Amino acid sequence: MITIDALRAYGANVDEGIARCAGKEELYLKLVGRIPDDKGFGALRDAVESGNLDAAFEYAHGLKGVLANLSLTPMLEPVSRITESLRAKEDRDYSADLNEMAEAKVKFDELFT
Amino acid sequence: MDEELIYLGNIKRTILVVDDEEINREILGGILEDHYDVLYAADGDEALSVINEKGPLLSLVLLDLIMPTVDGFAVMEEMQNDIISRNIPVIVLTSEESAEIESLKKGAADFIKKPYDMPEKIIARVKRIIALFEDRMIIQSTERDELTNLLTKSYFYEYASLQDKFHPDRRMDAVVVNINHFQLFNELYGMHEGDRVLTTIAGAIKDFTEENDGIAGRSEGDIFYLYIPHRDSYEDLSEAIRLAVTRDFRIHNVQVRLGINDSIDDDMRIEMAFDRARMAGNTIRTDYSRTIAYYDDKMRKQRVFEERLIQDIADGIARNQFMVLFQPKFDIRGEKPKLVGAEALVRWDHPELGLVSPGSFISLFEENGLIRLVDDYVWRAAAMQIKEWKDKYGVSIPVSVNVSRIDIQDDGIVDNLLEIVKDAGIDPSELHLEITESAYASDTRQLVEVVEQFRKHGFKIEMDDFGAGYSSLNMLTSLPIDVLKVDMRFISGVNDDAKNHRMMELIMDIAEFLDVPVVAEGVEEEEQYATLKDMGCEMIQGYYFSKPVPADDICNFID
Repeated sequence: MITIDALRAYGANVDEGIARCAGKEELYLKLVGRIPDDKGFGALRDAVESGNLDAAFEYAHGLKGVLANLSLTPMLEPVSRITESLRAKEDRDYSADLNEMAEAKVKFDELFT
Repeated sequence: MDEELIYLGNIKRTILVVDDEEINREILGGILEDHYDVLYAADGDEALSVINEKGPLLSLVLLDLIMPTVDGFAVMEEMQNDIISRNIPVIVLTSEESAEIESLKKGAADFIKKPYDMPEKIIARVKRIIALFEDRMIIQSTERDELTNLLTKSYFYEYASLQDKFHPDRRMDAVVVNINHFQLFNELYGMHEGDRVLTTIAGAIKDFTEENDGIAGRSEGDIFYLYIPHRDSYEDLSEAIRLAVTRDFRIHNVQVRLGINDSIDDDMRIEMAFDRARMAGNTIRTDYSRTIAYYDDKMRKQRVFEERLIQDIADGIARNQFMVLFQPKFDIRGEKPKLVGAEALVRWDHPELGLVSPGSFISLFEENGLIRLVDDYVWRAAAMQIKEWKDKYGVSIPVSVNVSRIDIQDDGIVDNLLEIVKDAGIDPSELHLEITESAYASDTRQLVEVVEQFRKHGFKIEMDDFGAGYSSLNMLTSLPIDVLKVDMRFISGVNDDAKNHRMMELIMDIAEFLDVPVVAEGVEEEEQYATLKDMGCEMIQGYYFSKPVPADDICNFID
């Protein structure tokens, strides 16, 4: 069972996230609990790797919004960088950011085991 | 429910949240659901179908911009094209400032940044936008006339005043457009057709004002107002309306009249400027050869004169400036005409304006109800005169007095007249009450009731000006009367002796059928007198025997 403390230790700005959910801790935890199954992470990587930058931007943009709203900072940071580069249609090497995102995601998923 | 929601009208509003990310939708839902009913859509297509289904029941759409397939911009575009959903405010959810201008262009009312602001901020924005749009809707619905979409009267005046404020040096004209006999058109062709005519004319007026940098409004019924930078001619407006009507209708007898006031003083209130334009238009109400009339100095003087009369009437009555004259009435059936009564006629001897004839003030005072004061004065004077003659000469000379439709509307009229005859010490049968057909035109049932009461108390009822208008015959069937009065001037208006003769015979037949005597008034020539006597007319009044005279002179006619 995921806890507020565990999220805080992970690096999430829990207070901000809960405040954004109108102070509803339960809602916040429920929504955070959906992230491990979010298909966006995989889809973003696939799109970037297959060179489909438009689709990649849509995935990155979506992820960024969700992660920002939940204040899941460790994942948000690399996703934000990816999003802004994709918005500018930068054809650069995204692997470092994608890896950072993947690592943060793995750590995050571990909170649920 | 908190105070602000009560301010918004105490109803729980419905908000549609559109975002392709479920988590984002739920966060917004969590923020909004305590205050609003929240619906969700996961993409543009779903959003549009909810918007179509709920329509005006939606108070707000919170719209994500970047979504697969149909995005937020496309949703806004669709909404702008729809007459209902274009009135639903949209708050765009975006993390990019660059999208803001584009969103504004597409009709967004506000933005909520991603990541979302704190809930209080979001709630405050949502409330503000809903209140703003609801206020706007209320203003729109009172600003525009529902049928024609022109400005309503009060907003028209408001905007006209604003024009003056922002362009004080621009000379403006006040134009009032009326449809001639529109009520009759409605009766003949039905209200629906009448509304179509109004819409067509409004369309022509709207085009004209748009082309000429003016504004247009609709007052009640068939009255349109235009406030236009001064121009020398309005023939083109008149022509534009005529063309629009002939284009849209097979019936071509819809005619408008234009009243124009092109001499608006700087300090004149806008209402007065239009009042005058309307007055100008009304001067050609019955003149089908003219469609345009300007407010001019003659009308201004007439208005000033009338204002003066209105202002002075109370004083005039208090100071006995009103003179009552008596025109004798003779029974002509015997060898020698015999005085049988008189009609009381009023003049106003104004200390500054001189002798004012009833023609100048009766209809004016009928319009504003002041006629009551004059009539009451005349009734009292007549009643007292009857008593005085009785005491002096030992004879009863009944006097006819006018009772206007305004008097009839007064609930206390029967009691008032009973009191007057009682105070004077005469019998009600000595006071004859003349009712004209204008009284019949207003409220028939009330008139019949009042007349029946008069007769029950012994007053005699004379129908005045019989034959002068179209409702006379209707009036006879429902109104119990004692005397029929015919004004020869109406009859001699028919420029054909044979017709005049036939008309008078017809009236005599009607009187015989009703078993009431006929009084012919306005008899001026011997020939008329002889013919009327020949026909069996009982009574005559007119210059042939005597003009209206002061009370003391009536003794000359007593045998």
